[in-house]
Amino acid sequence: MMQSRTPEGDVAPLRPVRTGAAPADRLTGWIAVAVVLLAWEALCRLFEVSSLYLPRPSQIAVALVDLFLHKQAFTDLAVTLYRIFGGFAIGLVFGVAIGLAMSVSRRLQSIADVFIAALYPLPKITLIPLLIIWLGTGGPFMLTISALGALFPVIINTLLGVRQCDQGLVVTARDLGASERQIVRHVLLPAAIPSVFAGARLGLGVSIILVVAAEMVVGKLGLGARLYLAGQVLETETVFAVLVVLAALGIAVTKGLDAIDGLTGKWRS
Amino acid sequence: MNTTQAGKRVSGDTVGAVHPEIRLQGISLVYEAGGSTVLALDNLDCTFAAGEVTAIIGPSGCGKSTMLQITRGFMQASRGTLSFVGPDGQTMTRPPRMATVWQSFNLFPWRTVEDNVAFGLEMAGMPPPERRARAKEALRMVDLAGFERKYPGQLSGGMRQRVGMARALVMDPDVLLLDEPFGALDAQTRLVLQEQLAAMVERTGKTVLLITHSIEEAVLLADTVYVLTARPGRVAAEVRIDLPKPRSVASTHDPRYAGYFERIYGLLKSEVLRSMHGEAEAG
Repeated sequence: MMQSRTPEGDVAPLRPVRTGAAPADRLTGWIAVAVVLLAWEALCRLFEVSSLYLPRPSQIAVALVDLFLHKQAFTDLAVTLYRIFGGFAIGLVFGVAIGLAMSVSRRLQSIADVFIAALYPLPKITLIPLLIIWLGTGGPFMLTISALGALFPVIINTLLGVRQCDQGLVVTARDLGASERQIVRHVLLPAAIPSVFAGARLGLGVSIILVVAAEMVVGKLGLGARLYLAGQVLETETVFAVLVVLAALGIAVTKGLDAIDGLTGKWRS
Repeated sequence: MNTTQAGKRVSGDTVGAVHPEIRLQGISLVYEAGGSTVLALDNLDCTFAAGEVTAIIGPSGCGKSTMLQITRGFMQASRGTLSFVGPDGQTMTRPPRMATVWQSFNLFPWRTVEDNVAFGLEMAGMPPPERRARAKEALRMVDLAGFERKYPGQLSGGMRQRVGMARALVMDPDVLLLDEPFGALDAQTRLVLQEQLAAMVERTGKTVLLITHSIEEAVLLADTVYVLTARPGRVAAEVRIDLPKPRSVASTHDPRYAGYFERIYGLLKSEVLRSMHGEAEAG
């Protein structure tokens, strides 16, 4: 249950392995990408591969531009982002609250432990049919599935972070006159922040997966829906174009998290 | 008048403050460990005189820090009484205000130096401008002016402990508890901080309890030294230190210093040997 942290306490499920910190390494990486794209383009032209199976990168680029200029992809992107981050925010707030409450109340912890043990290993994607029965296919359903993705990693990492808090700091706060409530707010919570952030990273990754999957199942709007519908009508270029957008989204989210991590972690040196 | 008092509180020169005498009478502590009962403290009788520095020294594991926890009220003694006697000779109905300086500094790593020092004031609900001003003043007293916006991780060990001292002193406690405050520092830093602390404590006239394993520190800082026995902790001896004040490293050249040192060393040595012997038998 506690496998979500490495010994360094830093989890990076959304972060690809860092290959190039140095500019020269980064350049090598981009050159490799260019070579692959050119080879792909050349081979498709050479062997006249049907764009139904494998469109050329140039065709994908055209489809991508077309998607945003003529097919309202901005709306899809906005709707998907809203579902991901709206649900994620709900999951984050509830996750931290539940985690903190569990960490200070032994009774609450023993109750919650049972439910978490039962629900955590369950792939959240399997809850989609049940949630559709309960909530329909509208906004509440999307936000709920997204929140569920973030909830468990955040709860578990909050608990872990509080548990790893130096007891000396708790005693020190008490010595300086802090009440139990103030200790939770001013000692346990800030001490748990790095761990909570690691949980949020994991959780956001799950939220993205769940929202796109849910859109593929029921959506009329959103990148997942766009992807699924394009696949059904064999618009392979559009399928690739949406995949490019989703990949870019993943990169942007990772970079954003890194930036926030840098801000909150300036005292960790 | 109010502002003068507020200003003086930070510098620690509070006029008419209550510096109580602390009495531990027949204090025993028994706890359960692995199915057997362990006697940690055995019938301790100690008096920490008002406005004086009392040092507790003893072999490791003798329950020195436990004594401090009991005095602070964080731990309950199994038997015995703890009482605080005010300047009027009456037992105080409420415990006096106490603050602790810790061996491991215990600074909040996510707070700046200034916010660490102001922590207690913040918890008490003091508005930001006032608590910031007091923290600044307290930091100036420990020679850390200009380090307000740094984080503890950016400071050396000696500087961190000076922050720890400022954080306790800014609360203007009636009783200052020092839990091996210089145990984690190198010898040179320790000497400098001991001198600084001695001067500061002398000026404020607070009741100070110093837990230490350094004989030098005990003799340099304390008016009275209690030597504890190896577990279970009992009072082996009470040594009154009559060296002139203010004391500094130069005090170690006083012929009486050597006498005190040797006396305490002799007591400790037999206790340490006894506890090592006990451990060898138990092992």
